[in-house]
Amino acid sequence: MRKLILNIHLAIGIVAGVFVTLLGVTGGILAFEPELDRISHRDISYVKPGGRALSLAEIGNAISQKYPGEGIVAYLPSTNPGFPTRVILSRGIVSINQYTGDVLGVRTRGQSFLGTVRVLHVRLAMGNPGPFILKWSSLATVVSLLSGLYLWWPVKRMRIAGRWWSARFWYDLHSAIGFYSLLPALVLAGTGTVIGFEDHVSRLFDYISPQRPIENDLVLPVAKLEEAPLIGPDQAVAIASAQLPGGVPYRVQMPRYGGLYVVALEYLQRRVAGERNLISLDPATGKVISAHFSSDLSFRVRLLAANGAIHDGSIWGTPSRIVAAIASMLLPLQATSGLLIWLRRKGILHTR
Amino acid sequence: MKQSMALFLLCAVAAMAADLAGKWSGSFKAEGADHDIPQLVILKQHGSTLSGSAGPDASEQYPLENGRVDGNNVSFQVTTGEWKFSYNLTVEKDSLSGNLKLESTAQVRNAKVTLTRVKGQ
Repeated sequence: MRKLILNIHLAIGIVAGVFVTLLGVTGGILAFEPELDRISHRDISYVKPGGRALSLAEIGNAISQKYPGEGIVAYLPSTNPGFPTRVILSRGIVSINQYTGDVLGVRTRGQSFLGTVRVLHVRLAMGNPGPFILKWSSLATVVSLLSGLYLWWPVKRMRIAGRWWSARFWYDLHSAIGFYSLLPALVLAGTGTVIGFEDHVSRLFDYISPQRPIENDLVLPVAKLEEAPLIGPDQAVAIASAQLPGGVPYRVQMPRYGGLYVVALEYLQRRVAGERNLISLDPATGKVISAHFSSDLSFRVRLLAANGAIHDGSIWGTPSRIVAAIASMLLPLQATSGLLIWLRRKGILHTR
Repeated sequence: MKQSMALFLLCAVAAMAADLAGKWSGSFKAEGADHDIPQLVILKQHGSTLSGSAGPDASEQYPLENGRVDGNNVSFQVTTGEWKFSYNLTVEKDSLSGNLKLESTAQVRNAKVTLTRVKGQ
């Protein structure tokens, strides 16, 4: 039995090791994607808080002066006093200091480093084979971790005793990392597997708890693109905020782009995984066309959102993201040390 | 006489160019995606310039930008929010087919798209 488990553990390492390594490295980077993104665009990502924040109409005027004739697609009001408000235009996303009205700069569209990291993580930066390979690699990682636990159990090695680069060193390293990172690594691989097989999991949840997904209930009226909106974005936000007292707006889609005002709000103090409160308004009358709240989300949507938040570490903020990043970064080390142990046993690699 | 002839030829070429005005529907699937995204494009043509709107259905439409017709080649863009859609299509009878580039500030994705004229508009 032990030999069979060892062979399964080895086979997974050899076949999926390279993909597990890729998932680990990219996952570790993505755990801090928002921070890294802001650092890489620091000149347009921070403002000095102070004074009254401008209204959306005032921000719109400042944008129109800077970029005459360009339609505003959406406002992304800042939910952090130290971050700028952003405005989506056709040319890109403009950052503007909400206290002074100064335009900080534009993020133009195109492939970024972090975007490349993300597409490597979710689809190997390729078409259909990418997601297929990765979802099976995630499942293989779960099996590898469990088989590793079975193999570790009789020896229970938890510290590194061997000399650097000795066979014992790599074995101890593999065992110790495997032990200490087992739980977070299992959580990462398990939640990653659920994401990979989301369609199947959704069908299962819908079978267990039949409930129509809320997004299918949303029926919008025909767009009135030619008509100028009679209410402004600030009025739209005020009406939408009344639907969700205490909610803070973080996105206001303009009616020329989609037919309605769509205001997205969130609770800053009690964020929940997958929080999505959307209020749609008739731009002419301000009448609420639809109001969908996180509390209305189906069991399936909530569970999958929580799964996603656990996977990227955002579920409990910075502490859980640090754990996710470390556990993710240790996966490549596990794959490498496992490979070195196997190469040495095969006589391909010589260690001290 | 030469000027009249040139004007006549110009008008003839314009008349021969496909009339794209109307509704076109279809779908696209971005590379690596597992779902088809429906498309409804409502075109208005003024010579070689296209305007109108596009979106997933009639209730959710976004204005066309930089719409151009050049012979059988059709191009236009649509900004829906974080994503910008750039269409480069070829006219074939009652269909428009070609490439679609989707761009955000982080990613660029490509898709093949085919639109067919909606009958009985």
